[in-house]
Amino acid sequence: MSEANLLTVDKLEVVYHRAVTAVQGISLKVARGQIVAVLGTNGAGKSTTLRAISGFLGIDDARVTDGTIVFDGRRIENRSPNEITRLGIALVPERDKVFPNLTVAENLAAPFARGGPGEDAIYGIFPRLADLRGRTAGLLSGGERQMLAIASALMCGPQLLLVDELSLGLAPVAVEDLMQRLLQIRNDLGITILIVEQSAAAALQIAEYGYVLENGRVVLDGDAERLRNHDDIREFYLGQSVNRERRSYRDVKQYRRSRRWYG
Amino acid sequence: MQLAVNIVVLSAIYALIACGYVLIYRVSRVLNLAHGELMMLGAYLLLTTASLFGGNPWMAIGAALVLSLVVGVLVYVLLMRKMTGEMVLAAVLTTVALGILLRGVMVLIWSAQQQYPGQALGFSNPALVLPGGARISLMAALLVGVTAATYLGLFIFLRFGRWGVRMRAAGQNPLLAAQRGINLHAIYALAWGLSTFTGSIAGMLMALDSGLTSSMMIIGLKAFPAALVGGLDSLVGALIGAAIIGASEVLSIQYIDPLLSDVIPFLVLIVMLVLRPWGLFGTREELDRV
Repeated sequence: MSEANLLTVDKLEVVYHRAVTAVQGISLKVARGQIVAVLGTNGAGKSTTLRAISGFLGIDDARVTDGTIVFDGRRIENRSPNEITRLGIALVPERDKVFPNLTVAENLAAPFARGGPGEDAIYGIFPRLADLRGRTAGLLSGGERQMLAIASALMCGPQLLLVDELSLGLAPVAVEDLMQRLLQIRNDLGITILIVEQSAAAALQIAEYGYVLENGRVVLDGDAERLRNHDDIREFYLGQSVNRERRSYRDVKQYRRSRRWYG
Repeated sequence: MQLAVNIVVLSAIYALIACGYVLIYRVSRVLNLAHGELMMLGAYLLLTTASLFGGNPWMAIGAALVLSLVVGVLVYVLLMRKMTGEMVLAAVLTTVALGILLRGVMVLIWSAQQQYPGQALGFSNPALVLPGGARISLMAALLVGVTAATYLGLFIFLRFGRWGVRMRAAGQNPLLAAQRGINLHAIYALAWGLSTFTGSIAGMLMALDSGLTSSMMIIGLKAFPAALVGGLDSLVGALIGAAIIGASEVLSIQYIDPLLSDVIPFLVLIVMLVLRPWGLFGTREELDRV
């Protein structure tokens, strides 16, 4: 995996407002052509990690204070978002993911494209968008909006696609469909994908490797198959208790979780 | 008929200036209160290029237009760029300071006396008689035509041009625009350049029509209510706002008192702010940002 890594995050530390450490020494690797999932609950540091990679930290008065992010052989920590996009990383953000007053076609025309797949390839992956190309993006449904967000990120011609909380607010059927599109994007366009999700079930469907984050640290990582069968993942993320007793992640005391993860 | 012509000419002046306010506000949410001074600077630049290229008026106009575009870009690059990420109020106050500075510098360089760039360029400005007996000066007629062409050009650029679409995108969601690889500084510099360019065209045509004094920037200030009445983020709004302000001003001069001419635009603005603070074509959401 080491030779073929497109993205390497090493001992990343991110501090908000020069006071709050949100990410404490996270390390992760994404190999070329791989789909990698980063799992975790709210406040685990998933989105901060994604923002650090995509250059969005400055907006929230946060900085990478330690560690490195190497993309395609180049250090990219604390660079501007548009610079990072031009290097080949595109983010599908969690919220505000489309330009609401622009049409679908305009949303696809706006990105600065460098070697992007072109509109035809995009409409090939998302035929629904071809039917909606004249519609204002603000009037699209949640699923259509998510499709447009992914499509518009692809127009930037990325080598690495970062997807933040794809499943948020969407029906399971729509999530399932979008996950299959991501798989198609990887298979057809050869784009590497890093997906950040609370919904482990959805993410582990398509991912080959996964990391579990908690309190700004990686507490577990491994092949998707291993994670799917891991007792803690099954219990807290997939809702399948090993004791046949359904318990929520939040029901378990923090110290116990840590002990279990680290143990 | 003459009244209608006067309304159209004054509305065209306000509309041509107001689109500059709209362009900058739309992409960066900054009210450029130095727009009147930048417009006047464009007119003075024509005065200078007219003396440099006296024998070739079109070269003088072309050079002044290019310079005005460069001035707009430089204002962003050297001054407003530093304001990116700061409070909008700080940026607006910077434009106020810029306006005061420009006013002083222009008087120092070009004096406060009335000057006629049209004479320096050898242009005559005959009155044209329209059907119905109304009269309009050649430069005023040109100004109406240029305003129409400018709005048409801006519409095409913003609707169909890739950079125009990017400008609209950056205005809606700058974070997402940056993430889509769009260089926000380039977009903002383009908006400032275009805004100063269109404002300078207005300044130059007014100077060619009726001469140039250091009080020209008051017209720029009077165009501000036109943009606000329209909704500040809408070019169509600016056009209609300009028509409302222009008509109100001409009619009040004609039927009430000519002294009201400087008061009426702001009176209309206050009425609009009370009745519909987000303007005719602005959205309520915009109000929060103001």
